[in-house]
Amino acid sequence: MAQMAEDTRERWLLGLVTLLFFVFLIVPIVVVVMVSFTSATYVSFPIEGVSLRWFYRIVEYEPFANSLWVTLKVAFMSTVIAVMVGVPAALYLVRAKTPATEFLMALLLSPLSMPMIVLGLALLFYFSAIGLGISLMSLIVAHTVVGLPYVVRTVAGVYRSAPPDLEESAVILGATRWQIIRYVVLPQIRPGIFSGAMFSMLVSIDNLPVSFFFGSPSTSTLPVVMLSYLEHQFDPSIAAISTVQMSIALIGLVFIERVYGLKHLGAPA
Amino acid sequence: MGFSFMIPSLLLLVAFFIVPLVFVGEMSFREGRLPPPGGGLWQNYERLFFDSFYLGVIGETMLLSVVVTLICILVGYPVAYFMVRHAGGKLYNLIIFLLIAPLLTPIIMRTFGWQVLLARRGLVNEWLQSLDLISKPLALLNSPVAVVLGLVHVLAPFMILSIASVLAGIDRRLEESARMLGAGKGMSFLKITLPLSMDGLGTGAILVFMLANGSFVTLLLLGGGSLQTLPLLIYQQFNTTRDLPFAAAMSNALLLIAFICLFFQLRLIRRKGV
Repeated sequence: MAQMAEDTRERWLLGLVTLLFFVFLIVPIVVVVMVSFTSATYVSFPIEGVSLRWFYRIVEYEPFANSLWVTLKVAFMSTVIAVMVGVPAALYLVRAKTPATEFLMALLLSPLSMPMIVLGLALLFYFSAIGLGISLMSLIVAHTVVGLPYVVRTVAGVYRSAPPDLEESAVILGATRWQIIRYVVLPQIRPGIFSGAMFSMLVSIDNLPVSFFFGSPSTSTLPVVMLSYLEHQFDPSIAAISTVQMSIALIGLVFIERVYGLKHLGAPA
Repeated sequence: MGFSFMIPSLLLLVAFFIVPLVFVGEMSFREGRLPPPGGGLWQNYERLFFDSFYLGVIGETMLLSVVVTLICILVGYPVAYFMVRHAGGKLYNLIIFLLIAPLLTPIIMRTFGWQVLLARRGLVNEWLQSLDLISKPLALLNSPVAVVLGLVHVLAPFMILSIASVLAGIDRRLEESARMLGAGKGMSFLKITLPLSMDGLGTGAILVFMLANGSFVTLLLLGGGSLQTLPLLIYQQFNTTRDLPFAAAMSNALLLIAFICLFFQLRLIRRKGV
């Protein structure tokens, strides 16, 4: 009996800590969402009146609208390249059993463990040295390097749990290599490709430390413009654009949950 | 599926990841702006590791990361424990969602949220005043406190997910046996659960330490110059001083720390036998 009472006490205590932690986690985000609907011309909380004027300001203020367009272009293009390059690599690495596979996998995932500011600086130096300089293309390539590990990791995760029997049967039945990939492997790993691509896109949209080095009127992404805006002004339009950006990410997250299941994301690395 | 499947990704990484890093390595040995000409091959590193100002910056970077990591462990362990042991089904899924959703909210948004909360007339100051804990508003913003709050806010979910994934795999019969043999709740936790969850704690700590070391948005917007860290200095060197060889040397120092962390991380993964 004493043990049960002890367990209940433990549950309540830990439950309380957990609750407080999530309040801490969520309050700053909720505050920004609320501020984005303020009617005041300055940032204050609690807000005084409700209006959509700051969302209108996003459309009005050209750098926001332009950089949002750049951001989406870069996210989409870099993800397409990351998928084209990363999916075959993941397929090879899961089934190949050579001593080098572990090393190659670590190599493909290593951009994840790199301080992003180091990567940004390195790529900028390099692109300038080889004459590519700051351009939309170099920004897309930089984001591809960042997004690639996400694609490889999720696709490899899904493919690893797919039984090899189906492919073996297809081989026995005389299917060619391309037929096997097209009709047997691809349908099985589709959720992995989709989720990996989604992650790559979301990470690209919110990337600041790499994009920062590629700032120019035609290559400034939304976070870069927001940062420089915040350094000079402090008004609710940042809240409004944050709310828009978060909505995009949340919709993406719901998609990932539907297709792939968030539970699988629990384990890091 | 032959090795040819690897070639596009290897080409991409060699051309746009490895070579650029080597390039920065070479850049860091060029002549910087400040030292007198002819300062030798290692001049940028000598300046970085022997000048007391820069040494202080490196120390501050590490100290901040250690503090943030410790707080994340203290806050994260109870949450991970509750999530694995006491939250079933729906609540568990909700917690996972609540942990991952903030990871995808824009970093600027979370920083902005803290700026609003910690401002002179922000919510936190008003609460503290209405509770009569303070008489004048505190200067919370642009202080190390704000930076630590902001970093814990961003990084604690990583710690929780790392600990939870290991806690979930612990055989609970071990704890039950200990209890049956007369160990109290606290004793069985200290002698059984905590040691068995050390791998998760270690993985999480390395991850958080590494991410804290490299972070700069939080420092820039919440620190307001009250803390100087390597990424912040790189940002400034790039933005204002434009001493690129020296920025490259600092970047390499940061990379070295990341490599050391990575080394420990791989060792942990090996030991787990995954």
